[in-house]
Amino acid sequence: MSIEPVWGAPIAWYLFLAGLGAGAYITSAFLRWRHPEACGMRRAGHVIAPIVVAIGLVLLMVDAEAGLHNPLRFALLLSNFGSVMTWGVVFLSVFMAVALITAALDLMKRKVPGWLEMAGAVVALCVAAYTGALLGVCNTYPLWNNALLPVLFTVSALSAGAASVLLVAVVRHADEFNKAGVLKKFHFCLPIIEMLLVASLCFITAFNSTAGFESVASLVAGEWAVWFWLGLVFVGLILPTALETWLLFFTSKEFEESRKAHWISFASDAGVLVGGFMLRYLVVMAAVPLTFVM
Amino acid sequence: MARYGMLIDTTRCIGCYACRIACQNQNHLPADVSLIDFHEFERGSHPCVRVETVPTQCMHCEDAPCQSVCPTAATYTDPDGIVRIDPEKCIGCKYCMAACPYQARVVDHRTGVVDKCRFCTLYAPLEEGMSTCLTACPAGVRMFGDLDDPESDISKRIVETNAQPIAGDLTKSKIYYVR
Repeated sequence: MSIEPVWGAPIAWYLFLAGLGAGAYITSAFLRWRHPEACGMRRAGHVIAPIVVAIGLVLLMVDAEAGLHNPLRFALLLSNFGSVMTWGVVFLSVFMAVALITAALDLMKRKVPGWLEMAGAVVALCVAAYTGALLGVCNTYPLWNNALLPVLFTVSALSAGAASVLLVAVVRHADEFNKAGVLKKFHFCLPIIEMLLVASLCFITAFNSTAGFESVASLVAGEWAVWFWLGLVFVGLILPTALETWLLFFTSKEFEESRKAHWISFASDAGVLVGGFMLRYLVVMAAVPLTFVM
Repeated sequence: MARYGMLIDTTRCIGCYACRIACQNQNHLPADVSLIDFHEFERGSHPCVRVETVPTQCMHCEDAPCQSVCPTAATYTDPDGIVRIDPEKCIGCKYCMAACPYQARVVDHRTGVVDKCRFCTLYAPLEEGMSTCLTACPAGVRMFGDLDDPESDISKRIVETNAQPIAGDLTKSKIYYVR
């Protein structure tokens, strides 16, 4: 009997967008702390966060067809606090409210209270980790059911969020982009940590069970191998690391601040975003369930 | 109150799928929504070889993972130990399908609601007969009854045949298999 994946591309997009929004919000909070002069970049993060999370939530509702036909049923989502999904709904609701208020204040040129931004960043972290825990508690899927997944999704969320803010900065706030050195250094480290986590996930899962081995085999050498190596590993992890290593450590300061270097950074950040989506998509699609009927 | 369970004797199953058709008929399901799956295995070695057909469905687990992940509490266990779905509460998020170790749940594409074996006790008062998967079976594979009553036919058969849940004590399933 062949087994169809339970979830598909819409859920992968949702997991990616929720992480991206959370990461963008945290990036803005980080900018407030380390680069208070980068107001344009902060505003970009504040605007990106609620928009992408809202798109993700719409996808989620479209995928939950019975709820889409009877929208009042979504009110029942707070019925079972033993469910990770219920907690996710709590985190997402609070996050959306905080992110919308933050964006509104920032766009009206009013000061965003520090405590609000701090609280938002904490809830954002919960949202990013929840997307991993949502899959993580399904103990039938060895590729999901491990403690690495929430960490991996959180790191990827921070990486994608920072990338989205830096992308906007290249296009609209080149001067701020040049000065955001600390953010760029953090952003540089994230794909490297992610590489380690992806490798660990594959290695450990392959030794977990037959289903775990099959999941990893389909990623590295089977049905999903092209997407895994090209989309996730090369475009999403190696390319950004290589480009940023070169820009940060092997070029002159003049070149680093030139327009050409900005567009190279742009390519690296676009790669991070592609990788962020590919990670969720592959983890959702390649998971093989344990077999109990034999 | 009872603790309902089922016994499935695969040594009798001829793989005719009559139970599935009876189930679809009784529950008014379209042909492509089935609450019973069939797994076929080659058993034995030459010259004594046979095909074992193992019908699977919702195992009505006492530790039901589908129930613990359901965010709207649409999945619940009734006082008779039957795991049920309230179709009025289900949003179709499919989290239960990801959590079920037996892949026993399906989406009814007409409504988007998730469905599974219901043990069909709701038909009992209607004099239509209860689970027609039992009565439609030409080989007497299935047996339904109260697991808490040591005098029930099913309890006696479980002891007699040493029937076991399909995956040991994984989720405290209430479907017992003779293999």
